[in-house]
Amino acid sequence: MPAIIELIDATKIYHKGGADIRTLDEVSLTIDEGDFVALMGPSGSGKTTLLNLLGGLDTPTSGQVLVCGQDLGALSPRELAGWRSDHVAYIFQAYNLLPVLTAYQNVELPLTLLPLSRAERREHVETALRIVGLSDRMNHRPDELSGGQEQRVAIARALAMDPRLLLADEPTGDLDAHSAQEIMNLLTTLNRDHGKTIIVVTHDPKVANTARRQLHLEKGLLMIDTQTSVRV
Amino acid sequence: MRLLLLNLFRKPLRTFLTVFGVSVALFLFCFLEAVLEAFNAGVNMADASRLVVQHKESLSFQLPLAYKSLILQTEGVTHSAGAVWFGGLSQEPGPDGKKNEEFFPQFAMDLASYLPMYPEIKIPRDQLENLMKDQAGCVMGSKIAERLNKKVGDKLTLRCTIWAQPKGELWDFNVDAIYTSASPTFDQTMMFFHYKYFDEARIFGKGGVGIFITSITDASRYQEVASQIDSRFQNSPFETRTVTEKAFNMSFVSMLGNLQLLMRSIGTAVVLTMLLVSANTMMMAARERTREMGILKSIGFTDSHVFWLLIGESMAIAMLGGIFGAGSAVLVANVIGYNPKPDFFPVFYLPARTLLSAFLIVAATGLVSGLVPAITGMRLKATEALRSV
Repeated sequence: MPAIIELIDATKIYHKGGADIRTLDEVSLTIDEGDFVALMGPSGSGKTTLLNLLGGLDTPTSGQVLVCGQDLGALSPRELAGWRSDHVAYIFQAYNLLPVLTAYQNVELPLTLLPLSRAERREHVETALRIVGLSDRMNHRPDELSGGQEQRVAIARALAMDPRLLLADEPTGDLDAHSAQEIMNLLTTLNRDHGKTIIVVTHDPKVANTARRQLHLEKGLLMIDTQTSVRV
Repeated sequence: MRLLLLNLFRKPLRTFLTVFGVSVALFLFCFLEAVLEAFNAGVNMADASRLVVQHKESLSFQLPLAYKSLILQTEGVTHSAGAVWFGGLSQEPGPDGKKNEEFFPQFAMDLASYLPMYPEIKIPRDQLENLMKDQAGCVMGSKIAERLNKKVGDKLTLRCTIWAQPKGELWDFNVDAIYTSASPTFDQTMMFFHYKYFDEARIFGKGGVGIFITSITDASRYQEVASQIDSRFQNSPFETRTVTEKAFNMSFVSMLGNLQLLMRSIGTAVVLTMLLVSANTMMMAARERTREMGILKSIGFTDSHVFWLLIGESMAIAMLGGIFGAGSAVLVANVIGYNPKPDFFPVFYLPARTLLSAFLIVAATGLVSGLVPAITGMRLKATEALRSV
């Protein structure tokens, strides 16, 4: 499989309170298309920062981040927004649905950025909601859904854009064990049957074991990569 | 657009109160503008081709009626009519049945010369014929006729505070005609009657007039004509000062001093209050939705999408308030025709330019009140926004 992600000495430094905080320190790694990667590490180890770099929500202080063949550091904020909508989708721990919109409208929201007719959008939305098993709840607003259902709507919203890369930041963090298992099963199906490349940030070893590859970060350094089975 | 509308009604009570605040403020603004318009009604009804010849020293001094023929000899002058301010009070019973002395403008006039100069005044032909034949006849504006419950054929009695006649203070007139006007700025609360009837009856000041209203052929030559008239009467016992009708009417408005400035200041304060109310709401709304801005950005919405979403919401709130506020003002002043002080404001209406100003103020309010939250939202980094609670 060709590489979908390539990080070359990616470093991220935040300036806070007059001090420089190095959250990622010259991280280099390659992830193949269709892979399922779990990103682990203690709080503050740089997991979310790495995820944000991969999703184009943030840019590295130095080094290069190449995703889907594009050097993200070379894009303007506007180009990055367009690139995100074309290639990447996010799934968050807090679901991050818009409370005023129904499940259908939440899933449809990113599609409004594309030149699609109403009928085409409907087709995309219905397909995505069917995949996550929520066809019967499409007219419900987030406050009328359970946590697991909300997360499935968030996954449907991510799927509707048919992205190559799914980035999930602790997607089961707020869910009970049963709902968490359902979400992980869904992500596994998306990876196996739909060929999506998935990167999941998690603290949960059970979730990490679902992935084919595990990366461990500590203090901004990539410490363990199970693909190579060696400490980096 | 859907998101904008849904956000607008996310907190219906807050949106309602803000829209209500903006609409009340805009209603007050429009109402104050209508009052200012009423103050300037005389100025606005003035025509550039009409001049007023008065005594050089003061309006309280009269000019000889004989000046009329000399004024008419001036090149460029077409008509001239002498007029005297009457200053009478109506003697009609009020709603409670008691005598109600009401003030309104009355002039003793050379009607045959005066009326052709005012195409704004519309009088039915038969009424006009009766008026010209009846020496004790008068013509009343439709608004004052309505207020005093007078119709053609009625009698009108005035008590004059300036001019006395041998038989006392009360003057009787026949209401021969009622005039109307298509122009919303033209005063329809005036009353005119024959100078001859007045001059024969008064016991002093006979043969004099307060002003000559004079029309000229070319409005652009008013300075030249005015100067020719004034130079004709230079060094005479009754020197004149000729001004445009607009300047003449303006001199009365200026007597009110800085009242207009005061009213404009109140209007400005009202608009500023409206701006603060709207800005506060938008600030709150944007602060509550910081995380949602992060969500929008993370799914591909650009900074400018977020900017226009917030500006659009702010504009929508201001516009709704504007529509209700200005709409209520139009309903009250122009449709229902409410006049808070009919004996003081001869004309009370909301002109189109005030509505245009109101629209611009509302648009500016929407834009300015949404600008700070919109710029903040636009500059917000998705990663920071997503961390907010």
